[in-house]
Amino acid sequence: MNQPRILIFACKWCGFIGADAAGKKRTSLPSQFRIIPVECASLVETDAILRALAGGIDGIAVLGCHIGGCRYNNANHTAIKRLELLQDLLDTTGIGRSRLLLSFGTAHEDYQFEEIIKNFFDELILLPPLDPWLSPFGVIS
Amino acid sequence: MMLEKTKDIARQILEEKKAGGVFGLMKNEWNIIQPHLFEDPAELANLVLEPKWLLAKLAMRILRSSPENYKLAVICRGCDERALIELIKRNQIEKENLLTVGIACSQEQAAICLCERPYPEKLDAGEKVSGVDPFQDERVQKFLTGNDKERMERWADMLKRCIKCYGCRNACPICICDPCKLEDDVWVQRGVVPTETVTFHLIRAFHLSDTCVACGACQEACPVNIPLLYLQLSMRKTLREKYGYEAGIDPETRSPVLSSVFEKPDTDREYPAWINSLGEKDES
Repeated sequence: MNQPRILIFACKWCGFIGADAAGKKRTSLPSQFRIIPVECASLVETDAILRALAGGIDGIAVLGCHIGGCRYNNANHTAIKRLELLQDLLDTTGIGRSRLLLSFGTAHEDYQFEEIIKNFFDELILLPPLDPWLSPFGVIS
Repeated sequence: MMLEKTKDIARQILEEKKAGGVFGLMKNEWNIIQPHLFEDPAELANLVLEPKWLLAKLAMRILRSSPENYKLAVICRGCDERALIELIKRNQIEKENLLTVGIACSQEQAAICLCERPYPEKLDAGEKVSGVDPFQDERVQKFLTGNDKERMERWADMLKRCIKCYGCRNACPICICDPCKLEDDVWVQRGVVPTETVTFHLIRAFHLSDTCVACGACQEACPVNIPLLYLQLSMRKTLREKYGYEAGIDPETRSPVLSSVFEKPDTDREYPAWINSLGEKDES
């Protein structure tokens, strides 16, 4: 069976530091994930998330700072509200809200990052593949 | 009766010069119904109210191409009024330049549109009828119930039909961005069918998440009958239940998606106190 592929958008102040620390500690993690560091979780475009799902990515994680701990004037508040709405849309169309993992303020330590990614991976393995939705123009490699 | 009252109000507006023109539907000499800008009270004899025709986008274009202090009155239904208010919020229409003549929809129309509010906030002619709960409707339940796999197959079947005519985007009274992301090769390949269903339809649906006024224009414009309105229903429900927000009711209320959770707290979220790097709790 194919391993699920995960794309992570990590805020450089929390999630990415956690990921970095997890790497420095040489934690064993599932290999099928890629991290894109972003300045703030609010800069993650919902369109990019949808584009990734269409390109055959099985799960997307958005990691940001604490509610109340944003470096950019509470920008993560708007991000969390917007992305929760996107989860509703994904639910409606049967993609399922569990394919979009939102974590705010819980990935800034290596062990937290490790736990989140491992759990997400285990969850995605159980989900049916997204075949009918795949983009007719090929898969992101 | 509703028609006569609307004509009276429109005539009054034109005669008292409250507005430069009244925008509504007209039956022309070939018995074809078309949107028309009534500037002469004598023309008002040809005014009609049916069928449902979203005039908000056209009204916006008229106001944009007119002199700065030109005032326009629009004969609008509930959905049309909500769309105009959303356009005001997005700074496309000056609030001072717009007058509305609100007319109520019939019960049959409300049932066809699955409309929750088949009347405008400022009602001038007609009787309010009660709204329909879309989630009780069989057609909607077919698409919103069942497990993920069933829903996915049902939606995939529907969206695969898309011929990418951009009708849903063009008919939507609130889709006003220029340039549009759906015309950008980064997101959706142009001029290629079959459509990339996920990107095209879900990007379009999500861009309207907190703005959709549930007028159903997208669905009516669709030549292959994709039920596009049903995509918005769950997001509208979340906004209403979590933040008590509904698009197009009040021009002053901003979308909760734009504000911080402290300004507009939602009911079921917990807010952990921020702990700084020294382990001291910040109580503010």
